Amino acid sequence: MSVYSFFIFDRHTECIYSRRWVDKHLNASNRPNSSALGHGDVPATAKKAMKDRDDVRSPALLPTNPPHDRSFPDSAANFIAIIVVQAKLIFGTLFSLRRMVRQLGGSEDQFLSYRTGEYKLHYFETPTQLKFVMLTDTRVGNMRTVLYQIWATLYVEYVVKSPLSPTEHPGGLGVANELFEGGLERFIESIFGVPQTTQ
Amino acid sequence: MVVFALLIINKAGGLVYNRTFAPGLQKLDSNDYLILAGTFHGIHAISRTISPAPRAPHPPGTRPPPTTGIETMDAGRFRLTCFQTPTGVKFLLFTSPEQPNAEAIIRRCYEMYGEMVMKNPFYSLEMPVRVEKFDRVLGGYLVRPG
Repeated sequence: MSVYSFFIFDRHTECIYSRRWVDKHLNASNRPNSSALGHGDVPATAKKAMKDRDDVRSPALLPTNPPHDRSFPDSAANFIAIIVVQAKLIFGTLFSLRRMVRQLGGSEDQFLSYRTGEYKLHYFETPTQLKFVMLTDTRVGNMRTVLYQIWATLYVEYVVKSPLSPTEHPGGLGVANELFEGGLERFIESIFGVPQTTQ
Repeated sequence: MVVFALLIINKAGGLVYNRTFAPGLQKLDSNDYLILAGTFHGIHAISRTISPAPRAPHPPGTRPPPTTGIETMDAGRFRLTCFQTPTGVKFLLFTSPEQPNAEAIIRRCYEMYGEMVMKNPFYSLEMPVRVEKFDRVLGGYLVRPG
């Protein structure tokens, strides 16, 4: 059992939090190994700054990536861009599936998860239209309660109740605080057993 | 345990067959089914590109094994099982969430399609399926007696 990534989307279709975990079977040398990405979550404001910084760093990273290997990006900046694009694609997929489910199952029906041959996507939506999404491998069972727990015990406690975080989170402002990130990390670890390395 | 409906989508995303076997899903008109088929075709393609899983190792110089798109989708009131044939035709089976062996059912539908539609000399490819025998046999297989 392993978890690949986790996203939160707000009601304005924006990705306000994302986090990725490296699968343990992956050899580290194949991945862009940037310390700038060590925080896991990349708020949009930080993304730009990191992008600028990584552009400078990228020549040093290039030799570690074989140029013919197209499955991995050339530099960390590229890598972040890919995450952003992926978040958008995931949101688009969810949006369409959610609409499809409502159309077929009635307005109270909700989309729960889908599975492909490679991964499984779990979905949970709060009454305020916050969307919690988790991508795991296919052997994982229902994660809806886990997503609910993340919302109820971590997001509400550490993000909503934080006096420093704004009501809305444009660009992920105020979501990625220490308590929330630490709590999420420990919670995922407790479910998936072995410590997952953050990417 | 009910099979609600079967949709067949051709490789271009067009709906070629659409049949409801049991009530349970909302009634949609044929236009909505066409839109639904096209939308699903797109989502299926996107779901292949957003795979976060590491690629399976393959010998150098060969193509990586193709990624599959959505195979099953769970909703509160139904489950959608999708089977894509090697030629790109998609079979979508809507069942109740607790229906077992949806994969086997969908394979059987594919066999029937192969036997009665593809072997029919009057069927033109990529066009809506209007084969009486296919309708009859499929109905006999999926409509519950009583």
